[in-house]
Order: sequence, then C-alpha cells, then structure tokens
Amino acid sequence: MTIKRRQILKAGAAALTTPAIFGGAMLSKTAQAQLCRPTGIRSPGTEPDSPPVTPFTEPLFIPDALSPVNPASLTTPPDPNRHQRFDEFQPIKYYEQRITEGYWNYHSELTQLTPNQSGSLAWMYNGSTPGETLVARYGEPVFVRRYNDLPTADQIQMPIGYPAISTHLHNAHTASESDGYPMDFAEPGQFWDHHYAMMYARNDPNEALASLWYHDHMIDFTATNVYAGLSGMAIFYDHIDSGDENDKHPHALRLPGNMRFGGAPGSANGYDISLILHDVRFDSSGNPAYNVFDTDGHLGDLITVNRKVMPYLNVERRKYRFRIYDGGPSRFYELQLGDGDPFFIISNDGNLLEEPVEATSIVLGPANRQDVIIDFSRYSPGQTVEFFNVMEQINGQGPSGRRLDGPSRMNVMQFRIIDSNVEDNSQIPDFMRKLPPINLNEVVAEREWVFDHDMGLWTVNGSFMDPTIISAAPRQGTAEIWHFRNAGSSWAHPCHVHFEEFQVLEWNGKKPTGVLRSRKDVATLGPNDHAKVFYRFDDFVGRYVIHCHNNVHEDNAMMLRWDITPG
Amino acid sequence: MNSRRTFLATAALSVPALAGAASGAGNLANNPAFKDCPRANGGPNAHRFPQVIVQDQHKQKAWFYEQLINNKLVLINFTSVKSEKRYPIIGNLVRVQDMLADRLGDDVNMYTISTDPYHDTPEALQQLAESHGAQWKFLTGQPDDIREILHAFGVHGSINGLTWIGNEKTGRWLSKASRQHPLFIAEAVARLSIGRHHKPFLVDLHSV
Repeated sequence: MTIKRRQILKAGAAALTTPAIFGGAMLSKTAQAQLCRPTGIRSPGTEPDSPPVTPFTEPLFIPDALSPVNPASLTTPPDPNRHQRFDEFQPIKYYEQRITEGYWNYHSELTQLTPNQSGSLAWMYNGSTPGETLVARYGEPVFVRRYNDLPTADQIQMPIGYPAISTHLHNAHTASESDGYPMDFAEPGQFWDHHYAMMYARNDPNEALASLWYHDHMIDFTATNVYAGLSGMAIFYDHIDSGDENDKHPHALRLPGNMRFGGAPGSANGYDISLILHDVRFDSSGNPAYNVFDTDGHLGDLITVNRKVMPYLNVERRKYRFRIYDGGPSRFYELQLGDGDPFFIISNDGNLLEEPVEATSIVLGPANRQDVIIDFSRYSPGQTVEFFNVMEQINGQGPSGRRLDGPSRMNVMQFRIIDSNVEDNSQIPDFMRKLPPINLNEVVAEREWVFDHDMGLWTVNGSFMDPTIISAAPRQGTAEIWHFRNAGSSWAHPCHVHFEEFQVLEWNGKKPTGVLRSRKDVATLGPNDHAKVFYRFDDFVGRYVIHCHNNVHEDNAMMLRWDITPG
Repeated sequence: MNSRRTFLATAALSVPALAGAASGAGNLANNPAFKDCPRANGGPNAHRFPQVIVQDQHKQKAWFYEQLINNKLVLINFTSVKSEKRYPIIGNLVRVQDMLADRLGDDVNMYTISTDPYHDTPEALQQLAESHGAQWKFLTGQPDDIREILHAFGVHGSINGLTWIGNEKTGRWLSKASRQHPLFIAEAVARLSIGRHHKPFLVDLHSV
C-alpha cells in the first residue's frame, strides 16, 4: 500500500508535538498508588516485588563459546534435503545444544530462598542461561542440532512457558526452515536442525552481521519461554571485524577483542564481552514470577545481565567492546554510566556503523542491540563505575516518557577497575563498514504495516497471527519500501522482521542521522512513530514473520506471516 | 465489592469449606489508595483470580475459580448481548465447539463471561446462547464481581477479542483471537491437553 505524502507529513508533525520519551519528572508516589490495581494483577505497583537482593555482589557470568562436535557423532545424520543450498554451503562446524529444565544461580541471595538452596528454576541450553555463545565466521557454514530435553507439560516445574521449542537466530541471514519459524517447533524428546550458511547477504561483505542472539520463538509462548531462560548470544566475525585486536590484516579494524583469551588475573579474561539484559521478577521462593494475563507486557523489577542480578565485572584500565542486548520481554532501557562519561557506539542492532558515534547513553527497546567501546583507562585502580537504566517504565506498554534520576535510577551492573598494566592494541577506527547502496529504482512495491491495539487484541494491519495467511509475498531478487507505523498514542512497538535487514529512509519524515544510519532488524516505534525503510529480498525463499518484539504483544497475536517467493 | 461473607449471607449458598481470602490482602490494606479483592485458592494461577460467585444462563451458581477453572481445561471469552451485535464472536466459537465435539463439557469447559453484567440477565444470556446453538456456560453475576474477573484477564471495555485457553492442571495458558480460524483455537486446546488427548498440532505446519 502506498502512503500519501500528506499522511507522512501529518505523522511527522505529530511526532514533533508528542512529548519525547526522554525528560520530564517522576510520577509521584501518590499518583502511582492511584494507578495501581488490585493485589496480584497487572500493574508493577501491585505485583509483588522481588525479594530484596544486594546489588553488585554477584560476578558477571560470561558464557563459554559453544564447542564443536564431531559430525560423525550425530545419531541421525543431517538431511541435506531439509535445507536450502545445503550442498553449496556444506557445514564446517557442527554443534549440539540440549535444552533442559534445571536450576540457575541468578543471585546467591535468591538461591538462598529456593528449596534446598538449589537455585532458581531455569530453562537452559547445555546447562546455562544464557546458552553458550555461538561464535562463527563468514565462509564457515554452521550446523546446529537443538534437542528438546525439557519434561512434558504435566511434569515441568517452571510455572510459565510451554515445553516446545523453536530457536530463532535473531537477524541471521537464514533459510526459512532453519530460522526458528514459530510453527517449526520440537516437542520434548524431539530435535530440530539449523543450517546457517554464513554467507553475506547478496555476497556483499558490507552486509556482514556481528552481534546476534538466539532465542526461543515457540508460537504463543515466546515471551514466557525466553523469560524462563531460553536465550543466548552469537557473534559473527569476518576478515575486518576479526575479533583480534592484534590482527595484521591491513583492513582489520582491531576492535577490542581476544574473547576469552589474555587479560590480567582477576579480570574478565577478555575484552569483547556480550551483555544481555532481561528484567526479571522473582517470587518469595526465588523463582521467576510472571503474570501471563497481562497482555500489556511484563516488567521485572530486577535487571539481570547474562542472567545474574545486578552483577559486577572486574575490568582492566583499557578499552572494552561490550555487545549490549535488550533481551526483553517488554522493557526499554536508556543506559548510562554513573559518572555520565561518554563512550563510543559502534553498532546498531549488532551491525557495525560506518563511523563510531560518541554518546553518553544508549537507548534500547526489546531485541535492539548496540555495541559500545568503553575506555576504562581514565579510571584509577579500585574505582567503580555503574551502568544505570534511566528510562522509566511503569507498565509493559512502553516507556512512560519520564527519566529516572538520582536514587531512582535502576541498577544494571558495576564495573570494578583493577590494577593492571595491560597492553591495549585495540583501536576505535574512524571508519568501520560501509552501508550497502540504496537504489530506489529497484523498488517494485511499497507496503504499510500498522501496529495497533483493537478490541483487546494487539494487531498488525488490523489482523492477527494466522500461519495460513500470507500477508506479503515479495519476490526474490527485488527491493521494496516498507512503512512501519505505530497507530497507538501510549505504547511502543519494537517491530522486528525476520531474515532481511532494512535501512531507514525516513523516520517521522526526517533522514536518519547518527546511530540510525545503519542496517537494522528492529524498528523501535514510539507512540505515533512512522519509519519508512528500504528492503531487498535475496538468497533464500520461504516463510518468515513480522512481529512486535515486545514478546508479550507478539504472543497476543501481534505477528503476521510473510513469504519470499521465487523470483 | 461484596466480601465473601456478604455473599454467603445473601446468596445463602452452601459451599464446601473454601479457604478464605488469599495472602497479600493485608500488606496494602492500610493504604486507602489501593483497592483489594480476596483472591481464589487452589491451583497454579488461583492468586490471579478473584474469589467471587458467578451465575450461568440456567441460574446455576458457582465459585468462579474453584468450581469452574481449578484443575480444568478451559476456554474463556468475553462478550455481551449488546457487544455481540457490534463485534460477533459466538458464531466462530460455535465452530470451535463443533470441533471439540464430545470433549466439551467432559474434559474441556468453555465459558463466555458477560462484559455487561448490568443488563445481561441469565435469561438474556440463555437467549443469546440458544440463538447460536452454543452449549457452553454464559456467565454473569454481581457487576462488581464480574468486573474483578474481567480485570484479571485484562479486559477493559465491553468488547474484547481474546479467547484464553488454559489448563489449570499444568498452569499453562495462552490466548488466541476469538475470531481466529476455529481450527487454531481447537488446536490450542489439543496442545494444552495432557494424557491421551494431547496433540502437539491438528494440522502439521512444520517446514519440510
């Protein structure tokens, strides 16, 4: 559907007069109480608070890299006929992940509350949440077999979620059958095979992806299954973004790297560290609590980083690359260092920008990712500096529009600067990766996707998830302009499209600048926002989805199927 | 809002010893800004629901959670005689009823909760149900109590397009649009069923 120019202008004007989601004062306690609902239902004011825990006492958990397995050890050999272009991209690395229910130490003070002090209930990949990090390189195709070893629904202990799994490698350029399509689920006792071709989209190195994550995408249960623990990180390296800060390759970016190698004793043992944020609410016995009937969204009252509540990390006096993920389900963040000092943003949604952007905060909606470089050399040994969230949110719909300050800021994590004299050969390059060209002459269609709330339903284009309805069918090898529009005036929708990334042409009628000049897979739409974006569809065909990545909205129908059809 | 005691007095209902209001009522009670409601007892999500009595189109009364939901597999949707004219859902749900066949009323329970308890008498709801051939329970009650139930499901206003499918044996709930193709609503029931009725899907939509 084509948008008329006048409508765009109207949307642009509305955005200018709508109060920005930043700035303003806190809602008074009295006003908050007036807004509160009866005990046990809906609002964060009345949902029981988590038991108190001491911040910054739990060390950050850094998952290992996933270890390859010998393909000969796979009990059932991979079936090339199940995968598009399998022979062309024969796997070089094979992995297995087993999804189980178990116990996880989110925080020792929560673990103390759990029966037998065994830890909080969690669903995990190979025994941890987040699961091990999938570290892959362009040109080295990957095969991952994921087993559902969860108990059946009548046996599980986790009070929420449903024990069928479909694993989506978020933002990977992946054939439909390996993408974690919501209907491609495996029940307990079954497995699902994923083939990641590790090819650049359109074979263009400028399309390289860097910081990705995998998470569950089970139909109707994405929010709860991820909340239960089913998420993990993935890193794609190539010859430019190689993960080696000593790389001799003339074009190597030499970003802070050496993941899991080197570093002084007591440090994080590496300078390229992924941080995934999930806000969790715990019950009085230390287990995750969640109200499935609140379709606005779920807010936790404790921020976890890599599934540790408000952890700390020892850092050396040098540069670090942090890949920061908003793992959802519904919270938006504005992250700031406690001293307000600047850092450099080098990616948006995990894709390197052309040029680093200096900033004092990053804003993330559910599923957004940004890589930042923080230089701790300006601190003295023994100093600490915290990451705070200053974005106020009082329900699952989206940010309130106010900013937290002083003691009301939410603790996220703490960096402890240790005494070290390490070499730092990493750099903050002036230029990183060129954005692929946009040729508007290739555009064959324009489509509009309106995110709204109607009759208690979260809708896209007035419709709701039906896996038999194909809402768009672009042809392979073509380009299109898509419009994402938030029709609501009080809620935000992080709109996510599988498989291809977009570049923003206009946001509320304005050309993108700064971190918005990037390739993205989640358009975080504030109230009344309108994003006009450019897409190309290439390399694979099949079924994909577009949905709100406030996973609670997604599970309450805000998802549509679209297909790429042979060109 | 009537307390449970008021109910027992006025409705003169003999209900087996049900436990009293859930915990949590006390800690906010001193703050007049907070409104509180006794919670149900029993199964995994009992604390999400109010402890209230409802009445069906045959004037049968029941404790909402403990007698209609606890330990049961249920489908719950929301409309009223008036709303049904503006946003009909019953016709589609009758198709779900047909797919559930013998299971309805046996191990699957379906309820429509009136969003207009001021006007929807049992008689009016009986007429609504019969005009569509709907054989499940249509529930109304004291407006304040119904409001608490609607609130528990996040229903605001008289029209709501969600159907909740829940199994309080396992505590698993999901929502589907009430106007969703009936096959997918019936499929949700099959997926949430345990034992011999469990089916992961009714139509296999897996890749390859």
